[in-house]
Amino acid sequence: MTEERKRIYTEGEIMLAIRTAPDKDVPDGFAERVMAGLEPRRPSPWRRLRLWLVRPRVMTFRPLTVIPAVTLAVALLALAVIKTDTPGEDPGVRLATVRFVLRDADMHARQVAVIGSFNNWRAERSVMWYNRKEGAWVLEAKLPPGDHEYLFLVNGRELVPDPGAPMTRDDGFGNKNSIMFVNGDNEQAL
Amino acid sequence: MKEKREAEIVRRVLLGDVQAFGALVREYQSPVYNLMFRMVGDKEKAADLAQDAFTRAYERLDSFKPGRRFFPWLYSVSLNIARDWLRANGRDRHVFVEDAAVLVREEDRADDRDALHDRMDGAKAFDIVMRLDAKYREALVLRYRYDFTMAEIAETLGTSLSGAKMRISRGLDMVRRKFDGGIL
Repeated sequence: MTEERKRIYTEGEIMLAIRTAPDKDVPDGFAERVMAGLEPRRPSPWRRLRLWLVRPRVMTFRPLTVIPAVTLAVALLALAVIKTDTPGEDPGVRLATVRFVLRDADMHARQVAVIGSFNNWRAERSVMWYNRKEGAWVLEAKLPPGDHEYLFLVNGRELVPDPGAPMTRDDGFGNKNSIMFVNGDNEQAL
Repeated sequence: MKEKREAEIVRRVLLGDVQAFGALVREYQSPVYNLMFRMVGDKEKAADLAQDAFTRAYERLDSFKPGRRFFPWLYSVSLNIARDWLRANGRDRHVFVEDAAVLVREEDRADDRDALHDRMDGAKAFDIVMRLDAKYREALVLRYRYDFTMAEIAETLGTSLSGAKMRISRGLDMVRRKFDGGIL
């Protein structure tokens, strides 16, 4: 195993250990003990007024007032979109939105992260979240155009190539990294 | 949204509804008690300090800014209570807890060899984290256990944004070195 891979394993292990270590149980009756020691507050009239002013309110609108307001808002929004779409602005390096997906229908994994050349192979920067509807671990990221090597780090220990990746590359030590091609048109090339 | 619900609870408490504070105590008693246990390594003292933390939070509720997350603010108050106690008792550094292996509950144990291996490694890693200086340990706990943002960690620990990042990075490095070196 390469030194780099060892470092990744260990870092994932540390993150997972911190996240999943069991808590010490709070002593029975703790909350009651705390509450028994608290004296009710007696706010001044001024404070009452201030708190009344900042209270959450339910807003109600009548159609006659809402329709012109909505029309104006839509017009302003349309203007803003037209302005944003105006060509001529230098976009610099255009980042493309890419989506990493690792299928795991029964959620066997406890934690999955994407590690790759774009995040310096550091799991803490790209922890995935579990999408129950898709039955998959998912992460969206913005990457510059080019090809990016990556792997999934499962449960902080297991390095898994992306089964959906179109290409893999040998890392020189007998292991395969997945490749993500990103073109400049704001989408990943597969 | 949690921030809204908590802001409303705080508003009710400030208006004199002391019982409303109970919802916040029940919600956060575990992380606050566990913080205190990590700091002092004694169950009874941890419970006393956790109670002091909630009492001080109640007394200073005026200074909580509605719309922000209540937990980082409470954590900050709790850390100050712990620091004050450690300072007063001449124990402001190197506080240890018992071996993390005993923190693995009996009902969590599995026969599966891989799972056991995972847990042993996890217990080892967690034990090393517990033995770090509190400023690195708490930064790691806030980041990876409670998902604080870097800005929240900086504010809670009373340091700059770059200081918070440095503590996370250095903390991970220290644990990794001990882990790799098989210190335990």
